[in-house]
Order: sequence, then structure tokens, then C-alpha cells
Amino acid sequence: MAEEFNTDSMLSMFLYESGQLLEQLEGIILDKQDEDCFDDADINEIFRVMHTIKGSSAVLMYENITKVAHKLEDVFYYLRESHPDDVPHLELVDKVLAVSDFVTGEMDKIKDGDNPDGDETQLVEDLDEFLSRIKGEIKKQGIRLPKENKHEEPSQFYITPVAENDSHFYRIVIHYRDDTQMSNIRAYSATYALKELAEDLLYSPEDILTNEDSSNTILMEGFHILLQTKSSKEEILDLIDSSEAEKIDIEEMTANEYGRGLVEFGMGDPSEFIHLEEEKKEVKVQKSTQKPAPGDYIVKAKETGKGKTLAKNQHKQQTIISVNVEKMDALMDLIGELVIAEAVVLQNPDLKVPGLELGNFQKASAQLSKITTELQEVIMSMRMMPLTNVFQKMKRIVFDVSRKLDKDIELEVIGENTEVDKNIIEHISDPLMHLVRNSVDHGIEENTNDRIKLGKPEKGKITLEAKNEGGKVYISVRDDGKGLNKEKLYNKALANGLIEDRPMSDFQDREIFRFITLPGFSTKEEVTEYSGRGVGMDVVVKNIQSIGGRLDIDSVEYEGSEMTLVIPLTLAIINGIVVQVGNSSFVIETASIKEFVRMDNDALVQEPGGEEYIVLRDECFPFIRLNERYNLSGSADNIEDGIVVVLEHEGNQVCILIDKLIQEQEIVVKPIPSYVKKVNGISGCTQLGDGSIALILDIAGLMLTEERR
Amino acid sequence: MAEELVEELLEEDDSDSQKGKFMTFQTGKEYFGISISYVNEIIAMQPITPIPEVDNYIKGLINLRGKIIPVIDVRVRFKMEPTEYTDRTCIIVIDVKSTVIGLIVEKIEEVDTILDDDIVPPPSLGHKEHEHSKYVYGLARTGNRVKLLLDPERLIKQEIFNVLEDIQEEEQS
Repeated sequence: MAEEFNTDSMLSMFLYESGQLLEQLEGIILDKQDEDCFDDADINEIFRVMHTIKGSSAVLMYENITKVAHKLEDVFYYLRESHPDDVPHLELVDKVLAVSDFVTGEMDKIKDGDNPDGDETQLVEDLDEFLSRIKGEIKKQGIRLPKENKHEEPSQFYITPVAENDSHFYRIVIHYRDDTQMSNIRAYSATYALKELAEDLLYSPEDILTNEDSSNTILMEGFHILLQTKSSKEEILDLIDSSEAEKIDIEEMTANEYGRGLVEFGMGDPSEFIHLEEEKKEVKVQKSTQKPAPGDYIVKAKETGKGKTLAKNQHKQQTIISVNVEKMDALMDLIGELVIAEAVVLQNPDLKVPGLELGNFQKASAQLSKITTELQEVIMSMRMMPLTNVFQKMKRIVFDVSRKLDKDIELEVIGENTEVDKNIIEHISDPLMHLVRNSVDHGIEENTNDRIKLGKPEKGKITLEAKNEGGKVYISVRDDGKGLNKEKLYNKALANGLIEDRPMSDFQDREIFRFITLPGFSTKEEVTEYSGRGVGMDVVVKNIQSIGGRLDIDSVEYEGSEMTLVIPLTLAIINGIVVQVGNSSFVIETASIKEFVRMDNDALVQEPGGEEYIVLRDECFPFIRLNERYNLSGSADNIEDGIVVVLEHEGNQVCILIDKLIQEQEIVVKPIPSYVKKVNGISGCTQLGDGSIALILDIAGLMLTEERR
Repeated sequence: MAEELVEELLEEDDSDSQKGKFMTFQTGKEYFGISISYVNEIIAMQPITPIPEVDNYIKGLINLRGKIIPVIDVRVRFKMEPTEYTDRTCIIVIDVKSTVIGLIVEKIEEVDTILDDDIVPPPSLGHKEHEHSKYVYGLARTGNRVKLLLDPERLIKQEIFNVLEDIQEEEQS
């Protein structure tokens, strides 16, 4: 059981870590896609990413991932060491992305509990061929296996003494007994003894004298020695103090094997650590020269830093832990309870006895309130995630699609650090992807001449921007392409019978733009691989509406379009106003409330059929009496005694009658238990400060049922 | 009293020791029993938030330590006249296949051990109203009383069935 748990945690760590590294990798690649070559810092970074993935996948025996990562590492190793000049940059970018895709694909399989059985041969061959090609520029020696190059690696730091003909090469592994104390010192004495007859001596772990932890490593994995000597096995065995050793393996090997023994043993290449340090400095320098776009700066700095700690020192404590969402929800529930319990204590009727000295109590309770408020904020922030990952995906899409369509497009990302509730992030990824594809495919002109004629730069530009305003998150996809042609949209919608036959002037601009979100609408004559099938925009809108958001479309023909997703910051908490009708409390989402008004009876118009309307400022609104609607007793029937609330949902307005306003507050949305069948016009419930329950009004549902009547 | 019973329940949180044990309660003149394995806890009567547009026996929602659960009035469910709630009125919180529901009962009686042999199926020729027999799967005689053993799953199933019917009706109309 314990073992099972162990591999499990190792696996999830591997997936998490590799996922992070790959994201980082794609980030680098896409940032630099338009330049001529990668700079040293990037090469080092990619090399390191591949190295780490290779290492950890090898531990978990995912051979195909290991092989692919290894090959790419070779390529970057070569780039790092030899600085070749004529590297076909775009091809290299393609190769890296291909590897990243491959590994991501395999990791998805692992996540689903499948075997990562993807065939790496083709990819490895491609990389081989690529590597030998870039090498060929210098060496002109035909195809050389990069594997050899790889295994020359140690020679960069360690020059093997020239082997004499009668030298033997040995691999020695000493396993000490589990209870051996200070095995590192023993190991050292063994190497010390061997030095007498050694022409060359290497061992792992290397830091046996300086690092006490190495004794654990030795106990677990054995102490590895590579020895070049003229002596025989027996002589070696004599020299090693075998008092505490459980087993000593001595194996003779060829000079060649000896040369690469180091790497295979995972003796590590000392270069990595050195380079990491340098790299860090380089990265810092690079960062400070970058223009700090809002949001960008912090995320990137944080990301690289995180990657470093992960790879550099596995023993250090992880700065991130993954937590089961259920536990988080449980914690949130508990904190909700705590807040309520606090209210019960602080507003306890027992305290209202006259003449009580409450000075100290008040102080203590103020402190308590402060802590619980902070606690609430923390738990909320724990559910928030930056949009970085989603935006990263978009970068990739712009890159892929624009190259496929042969359009020159630049993507600007603003505010990727904006944080959104985790649930929402899951929902916006697909719609956003669709919008970005649309912009690349339909937005930007096919022909650069068209752009030049209009005085626009040759290169198309798409801006992805996220910002947080008034409890909503705005994510916009803006392009400087050809924009939407209103006439065309109108004609198309009319031709497809999607709208009533009304003159175009009847519609506002935004209404016309919104036609593209109607099911079965597509202005694009040809269907491309990426978009234009006429399904999609309606799905986008549906997805967005399902999380309580909306899509705004703005466009100026010949100048470009802007699609903005407006989504709530979080699904779990809304800003609501608590109102009372009779003995029941209801919550109305603040955002959908237009106004509260006191009305005279004169404003009420009654149809013979019983339907009522409110006339407010010469406009007529449908009127719903909540008490009649839901058979609530004890409330005002006369609208002069109550308050009329004007509600708006997607441009439609309705008035409802309530008794009184209680307060505005943050509402933790909970679903109505599934046992109770769905009630029209109620979307959920919540508990109020005093522990009682209020029902949350669903404006859309309310309007819908009203229409049906 | 309720607290004691809850404690008793918590102590016996073992399916073996729960076997044959029934939480018995009184509603109207009759005594009912529910297998203890369904019972989560017993709580005192609390303020109930009514939900509009639901069947009359669904009294509404209560807040059970942050969890919002529906409560149904057993009396109304069994087509008896509703009575005023008193100090003795309790809510039995039951968990039927992960659906948590509160049952409002007039009076909690005791936890009773009823052996399988003592349970007889309800007489099919009897004059019991049709409604009753839907939820009662057996009669048990303990002491000098007959207790009606309830099948909570049928209580729930009935519900879902009703909802389905409603939906179908809606569609037809």
C-alpha cells in the first residue's frame, strides 16, 4: 500500500512538473519564434527542460518520452556547445513543438491511466536527421549519430587520461549494509585506497565528503566507481575495505563504455549545476531589459523561478502542493459556517442585557471578525488561478494557424496575470480558442496588399487582453483585420431566415454583429480547416452563458473587430442584494438590478387577461408580483407599500414587487438539493448571516416562465 | 433525548452492529421504524425555508452545518392532517444513496432491535390505504406494539417518479 502510494505521488509529481516545464518550453519557443535564433539563455533553458523530463521519465520507465527528450537534448546540447550559425530557426521551432506535443500527448495518456505507447521512432529519426544536418554545416562528415556526441559530454569537463594499451576499465558498485553509519566516509576511504593504483578514478555521488545526505544515496543506490587501472580485479578487491559492504560488484568494460559510463550512471554532468547558476544570472539580466508589459513581468519571473527550484534541487520543499478540490470545498463550507457561528456569538441576545460591561468582549470580537474576514479572502484566493496557461495555449494556436494559412501575424498578450476562479477557467478555454482562431482565419486579411492599401502595417496583429473590472473579468480578442461588414451580415442572416424581415435600419450595430452568434450562420463562403462551418459562434455563446457570462462584439469595417468575453470572477460567490417578500428572503444578483423605485398605483396598468405592466418614464415593463408568483403570504399587495425592482437580463427588462430591502452582501451560491425538483426562476440558494436560507432568483428563468404564461 | 440517541448512533458506526437496529418514531397514532443504517443524525426542529412550487409535503430547506438539505413532513407525506410542531418534533436526517433528506417526525421513540424473523410483510388483503403500503415493507411486533418498517429508498424513488411525471405533463401541455 505504502509503495503504491509512493509511485502514485511520484507519477503525479512527474505529470505536474513535466506539464509545467513543457508550458515553460512552449512559452520560450513562441516568444522567440520570430527571431533568427535562440539566445544562450533560451538554449540552456530548453536543454535543462529536456534534461529534467528525460531524467524523470526514465525513472518512471516511460521509454519513448525518454528517447525523444534525449534526442532534443542532444540537439540543444550541440547548439549550446558549438554555437553553429546557420540553424534553420523555424525548423528548429517546429521540432521543439513536435517534441512538446509528443510528450504532452503521452502525458495525457498517462493521466487517463493508459500506457504511453506513442511511437517515437519517426520523431527520433527526424531529430537525428536534423541534428546531423546542422552538424554537417561544420563537420561535413556525413551522418554521425548524435548519441556519440552526447556521450562525449563528460569530456568537456573531464579529460580522460590517455589510455594505455594494457589499461583495464572497471565499473565498481559497492553496496553497504542498510545500517551502515557514515557510508560516505567509508566510500571515501575506498576511493582513497584505489587512488594508489588508479590511472583514472571517477565516482558517484561526487560530494561524499561535503554532503552528509550523500550517505543516504549511497545506502540506497550503492556507491559507483569508474576506474581505469593496470591492476587486476583481485588487486582492487583487496584494497577496498569490505567490512561493512554487503556486495561489491566489479565489472570490466571497454574504454568506450567507460567514456559514457558517467552519464548512464546518472553521475550527473557537473555542467548542469554550473550552467544553472549562470543561467539564473542571465535570466535576470534579460528580465530587467524587457519591457515590463502589465501582468507579463511578474508571471514570467515567477515561472522561471519555479522551474529552477524544481529542477535544481529535488530535495528542497516544493513550493506548490496540489490539493483535492473537494477538500477545498469542504474548507470553504467550514469557513462559511464559521462566519455564521461568529455572527451568532457576536449578536447573541444574551449580550443585550442592559448594564453589561462589554469593553473587552468588543475588542476580542473585533479581532475575531478581522481574522474570519481574512480567512474568507484567503480561501477565495486559493481558488483563483491566473489566465497564464489559457493564454499560453492561445499563443500556440495563433502560431499554428497563422503558419498554416500563411499569414504573418503577431500576437500581443496583455494582463495574463489576471486571476479567475478555477471552474471558470475550465469553461473559457474552448470558447476563447474559437475566437482566436476566428480572428486569425477570418479577421486578418489574406492578402497583405489589402492591408498596405489601407495603410496598415503588413503584419497582422491580434491582441489578447484580460482585465478585471467591477467583479467581472473582461477577456478580449482584438484584431486589426478587415472587420465585419454589416450589410453582408444582415443579408446573410436574412437569406438564412434567421431574422424577421425588417429593414436593416431597425437593428443597432451591435445587434447586427450579434447575428454571427446565431446557430447556422457563417459569412465565410469557404469552409477552412479552422473555422467557417457555421457552427461555433453559437456554441461559444452558449458556453459563455452557461457560466453567467456574455459575448460583446464590436467592429469597424476595414479597421478590425473586438470580441469581448465578459465573465463573472467566480461562480461560487456573487454579489447580491437580499430582499424580503413576506417571510421569505430572496437574493437578486446585483449586476442584474437596474434600479429600485417606489411606485404609485397610477403606474400600474392591468390587461383584461390579468397581466400587469408598470409604466416607468413612459416605458412599459412586464410586472411580476413575487408573492403571487410563489404563493407567499404576509406580504404587501399594494405596490405603494412595496418596492419595485427593475431587472435586466440580456437587454430584456422586467419589474418585480418586493416588500423590503435587507442588505447587499457577498453570496455563496449553493445548489438547491437535487431531491427538490427544479423551481422556475430559482437558480440556487444561500445561507445568510443568521444561518437562515435565502433563495437566489434566476432572472432569465423568471422571464421565461412569465413569457410562457 | 435526541442527543443521547445521536451519541448512541455514532458509537455504533459499524455496519454489523447496526444490523437489525431500527430508529423508531411516532407519527399520528402509528409507530414507524427506519433501519439505522440510513440514519445520519437527529436534530431538533429548526426554521425551515419554504420553496415555492413544490409538493406540499416538501416543507422546504434547512441549513445543516452549511449543508442545505430538503426536509419533508412525514405526516403530510402519509396524507395525514398536518399538526403544529412542538418541542418533541424532531428531524431525522437520513442518507439514502447519497441523497440527504430530513424527515420531520412528531416524536422519536427509541432505537430498537428487530430480528429478521420478527418482520412480516404487510398483509395484502388488509384495509390499509394504498398509499401506506408503498413505503412500508414490513410489520414488526416488539413488546405490545406493531411497528411499520419504512423503506426510505421507496420514499425517494417515489419522489423521482413524481418529478418525472411532472416533467412529462409539462411536455404534454
